[in-house]
Formats: sequence, C-alpha cells, structure tokens
Amino acid sequence: MSPEALPPTRRSFLRAGTAAALALAASGCGFATADDPAGRATAQAPIDVKVDGDLVYFNWADFVEPSVFEGFQKEYGVKVVQSNYDSMEGMAAKLNAGNRYDIIFPTAKWAERLAAGGRLRTIDHSRLRGAEAVFGGYGYFADPWYDPRSAHTVPFTMYKTGIGWRRDRLGDLTGSWDDLWNDQAKGKVFVLDDRDEVLGLGALKLGLDLTTGDHGDLARVTDALRSLRPRLRGFSSDSYNNLLNGNADMTQAWSGDMAAMLDQAEDPAVFGFEVAREGAPVNSDCYAIPANAQHPGTAMLFIDYMLRPENVKKNIEYIGYPMPVSGTEDTYAALVEPFPQCVVTADDLAADLFFRNGDAGTERARDAAWTDVKAG
Amino acid sequence: MATRNNRTGTAVRPPQDPAGPIAPPPDRTRPEATPRARTRTRQPRLWTWLLLPGTLWMTGFLVVSLLLVATLALGTTDPLGNPRFGLNFANLTALADPAYRTVLLRSLGYALITCLISLAVAYPVAYAIALRGGRFKNLLIAAIVVPFFANYLVRMYGWSVVLSDDGPLLKALRAIGLADEGTKILQTGVGVIAGLVYGFVVFMIIPLYAAMERMDTSLIEAGRDLYGGPLRTFLFVTVPATRQGAAAGCVLVFLPAMGDFVSAQLMGGPDQIMIGNLIQDKFFQGQNWPLGSALTMLLMAVLFLGMLGYLRRTRKDEAEAAR
Repeated sequence: MSPEALPPTRRSFLRAGTAAALALAASGCGFATADDPAGRATAQAPIDVKVDGDLVYFNWADFVEPSVFEGFQKEYGVKVVQSNYDSMEGMAAKLNAGNRYDIIFPTAKWAERLAAGGRLRTIDHSRLRGAEAVFGGYGYFADPWYDPRSAHTVPFTMYKTGIGWRRDRLGDLTGSWDDLWNDQAKGKVFVLDDRDEVLGLGALKLGLDLTTGDHGDLARVTDALRSLRPRLRGFSSDSYNNLLNGNADMTQAWSGDMAAMLDQAEDPAVFGFEVAREGAPVNSDCYAIPANAQHPGTAMLFIDYMLRPENVKKNIEYIGYPMPVSGTEDTYAALVEPFPQCVVTADDLAADLFFRNGDAGTERARDAAWTDVKAG
Repeated sequence: MATRNNRTGTAVRPPQDPAGPIAPPPDRTRPEATPRARTRTRQPRLWTWLLLPGTLWMTGFLVVSLLLVATLALGTTDPLGNPRFGLNFANLTALADPAYRTVLLRSLGYALITCLISLAVAYPVAYAIALRGGRFKNLLIAAIVVPFFANYLVRMYGWSVVLSDDGPLLKALRAIGLADEGTKILQTGVGVIAGLVYGFVVFMIIPLYAAMERMDTSLIEAGRDLYGGPLRTFLFVTVPATRQGAAAGCVLVFLPAMGDFVSAQLMGGPDQIMIGNLIQDKFFQGQNWPLGSALTMLLMAVLFLGMLGYLRRTRKDEAEAAR
C-alpha cells in the first residue's frame, strides 16, 4: 500500500507545475503583443513642457558630464534617477519588458525601430528653445531617414567608424580599409565586436551597399573578411584600451572612443585615427521619450537644458563625441586636434552611410554571415 | 541509511526499468519512503510539504524557463526585436551551419582539457589540505573559497591583465628567458583554457577535498604496509577511493566551462570563439532570441549526454558498493 502513497502527490505536483508553466508561457507572449491604438494616441499627444516628476534617465554609462546633471537637478528641483545599459539590445529588452523611463538615447537604427513600433512620444520642436541651433544648423537632422522630420527624436551625438593605429609601430597608413590587411600589423589587428560594423567594413572595401542582405554580396564580404582572419587578433569593442595596453597595433574604432583616448594617452602623437576613403559608417544617437514615460514634461525640460550651448560644450569635452549643435564646432575641433578626422561634417552626414534596418530575411542572412565571420 | 536504500532499491528496481535511464531519481525517493510509511502513515505528507518550496522553486525557475527556451527555439522576432512564439523551423535548420559544429567541438575540447588540468591542479591541493592541513584546514579552504566570491567578471578582467602582452607574467617570463618579444598568451587557446581553469578549478578542489576528508586513511597506511611507494599508494589507493569526488568535480567544472563565454571573450581571439559566445551574441547583439534559444538547446543536448554518462556511472558505482 504505502509505496503507492507518494505517486499521486508527485503527479499532482507535476500537474500543477505544467499548469504554471503553461500560464507563464502564455503570459510570456504578453511582452510580444502588438501596439494598441489607444497607446498610439497618447504617444502623439503634445507634451506639456513642465516639471512633472523626477527624471528617470536611461543611457550608456558616463554619457553626460556629472556637473550638467547637478545643474539640472538644482535648477528644476528634481532628481535624476540614472540607469545604464551596455547595448542597444539590452536597452530595447528592458523597454519591451515594460520598464518605464523618461528619456532614452537610441542610435538612428533603433530610433527608427522604436518609432515604427509606436514606442516613442512625439516631440514638438517648437517647444524647445535650443532646437533652432540643431535643426537650423544641421539640415540633415531636419528630416533624417530614421525619423521623418525628427518627429520623435532630437539628435544627441554623431560619430564615424575608422581605424585607430600605433604610429610608433606602423608609421603612416594609406587611408583605406585595406590598411587592416597591413602585414606589418599581422597578429595585432582588432575589429569591433559588432555585426554591422564588421560586415560594413567588408562591404565598403568591396564597394557594396553598407547594409546589404544579398546572399551573393554577403558571401563576398565573408570571403574578404576570411582573408583578414590570419592577421586578426580578436573581435573587441574595447578599442582604445587595446591600443593603450599594447595588445593592438591597429583596430577598427569609433571616432568618439578615439577622442576619449586622447585624455588618457601619455603621448597622443604615438596614435593615429583615419577614416577610409571607401567610406566611413556614420551614426547618431538621439534623445527620445518612450511612449510609457511617466514624466515626459521633465524629459522635455531636460532635452532643452542639454541643448544649451554651455552644457553641450561640457558634454562634448566629457564624452569625446561631437554634437550637432551649431556654435559648438570649435570646442570639438580643439578637443580632437591630434585626430582631425574625428570631426563629423555635413558632408559625412550627406554621404548617408548609416546602418539601416533590414527585413527579416536580410537580418537572418546578416546574422548567418556574422556567425561565419566570427566562428570561422 | 545508504545500505537500507540500496537493499530495498534492488527489490523495487525491476518494474521501474522500462521507464529508461531517466528513472533513477524516483527510484531513490520511493524505497526511502517505503519503510517510513510503513511505520507512520502521516509522515509522507510532511515530507511532501517540505519538498514543496524546492519543487515550486525548481518548477518556476528551471522547468518553466527551460520550457520557454525550448518553445522560443521555434519562434521568430518582430521588427522591434521582440521574440514571438511560433512554429518556425528556420532556427533549427540554421544549426546545420558547419560553423556551429566547429565551435561546439572546440568548446567540448576546451572543457575537457580544463577538466584534466583542474584535476591535476586540484588533487595535490585537496590532498595537502585534507590530509596534511591539520588545524589550518578550514583556513586553507577559506583561502581558496573566499576569492571565489569576488565577481567572476572582475576576476577574469584581472586575469586578462596578468596575461596581457605587457603584463607581469610575460614580463617575468621574458626576464628569465622563457619567452621572447613575440610570445603571447592572450588571444590563444592557452589563454582561454588558462581563464577557464582559473575560473572553475575551485569546483574541482571542493568535492575532492570532501572525498579525501571522508576517506579512510588507514587504507593509505595499509598500502604503505604492503610496500607501495607514495606514488603507487596515491594511484592505487587514494585515487580509487576519491573517484566519486573527482567525478563530481569533473561534472561541476565541465558544465560551466562548456557554456562559458567570458574567458573566450577576454582571453581568446578569432579562433577561440566558444559556443557560449555565439549564444551571447544572439541574445545581446543580434537580438535573435529564437536562434539563441535553438543554440542553447543544442548545447543542452550535448551536456545532457554527458550528464547521462555520469549518472549511469555513479549508479553503477553505487550498485557495486552495495554488493
């Protein structure tokens, strides 16, 4: 009798477990629901620019000068509640999970995705005193590809991708992506640990579309990158540390990181940064207010405050990225004097070498190509 | 208790066998409940209640998450990158890409080598502490375990600094002529395995230490009395007596080493990518959770085979011990 005493209980445990599993699986679908019309209406309602609570801020770590935060808190009597992410995917995952932030800083590509998904509030630029310096001075952002008429965004930073290298070990380079294949640097070359950037450099070298999803194109790109492999030491986005600690002679690098390195290098003359003549990917981070923000008014005040020239200058010096605000160009040019190619000009923007979103097939093909490149 | 367990276990086993090799766990709980239930009928219920929190915990955080991962392997992503459940086999067919096989085999190799090196490092350490540690035993174990509480990532970063081209280790090796300018450890397989051993060797030391603590030291004396030298005594007495600890240590090292991505990321180069790196990429870079889930299932299938081998082995050991 007794051996049978336990099984029913255990079975009922299992049954309860399965039920719980199913319930959770079903609610798991919840985060994937499509946007609702009511949500869209709120997203489009104009925002009252006034303090409506503390600012819940979500950005890369260390992307605003601390004294700028302090000034904002003091002037408006609010607190800035900070949290950070380390990738756009991480940011999107938190938003998708329903976390509420008042201000986020997506890249162009992610701004397009979030706006298309109804995840962003519209921003009325006429309510921002600093808007003219941005949209008047940088025509590109008046109607960028990722967000028509910048309806949901205000540009924050701009940057390019190029090659950082050790002048003391390699001398001068030729200004082409081919430089990464330089035999002198063999075994000491890094590329970024980033799918779009690495596939992008291959595509630009071959004269192909930057974000191609074509299988034939991608096969050529992966072949080209395969020939780089024997020279490659690693995939790493820690470009300036690799240069500084001697692990890299040459590395694919973001302009802003190279500018930030100038601060830490004992002798900046040892390093160089070039942008390839075949084209340099350009990108932009934006200010955006999520549709579910609880304090959009404070967020608007924050954007306006951040656009004040004195704050823009402080931030440029702090993070090393130029910002599209007219009147601040000299500050940046002075900062990156050893690496003049870090400057992002109107021509760079007009060349329009942004990483674009692809459809499901394109993304899948690019994922597979990246796996091939990375896993060899 | 062990003998009772085994005695009744053999009696109950035959009807269980058709259930296949996964049956052993229930096999063990049942005979244990039997004699108790015979004496006091109310107790099984008490044990059931005591099991409840653990069962709920495991159901919620292991079974359900595993089910979600398994289901998501058949899913897709929407334009915002949200995973969506579905019935799409593209992720599973994508696993046929030979790149995954290469990386999986490489990870297996790294994990196995890590196990062997950890064994070689852990045996003498555990031996010294358990049998020669005297009153310092606890202190020595603490000295090994406490640093382990520091964040894994931080320790690995520190380790990568130690191994870097201009780091202290290579500098020292160059000074004594054991390395030249071109020697490097980072971005090589040696670097990755060094990272894995550094990260997981504690999991080998602790079970070995426990096994040696429990070991009947008179066996060693007997070995010596029978004219076995220290090495022979170690190989033919100590090692067999602590075999189960070593097996447990191997499982504890192998499983996390196989799925690790930090070591290959910080210490490896393009030719040292491990399966964990690809999974991490799918989740955090490409935001392709479904493909990441499919890869996770592949990894779990491989690990499951290993676990199966371990379970059969320990079962055999137990059966032998009972005889």
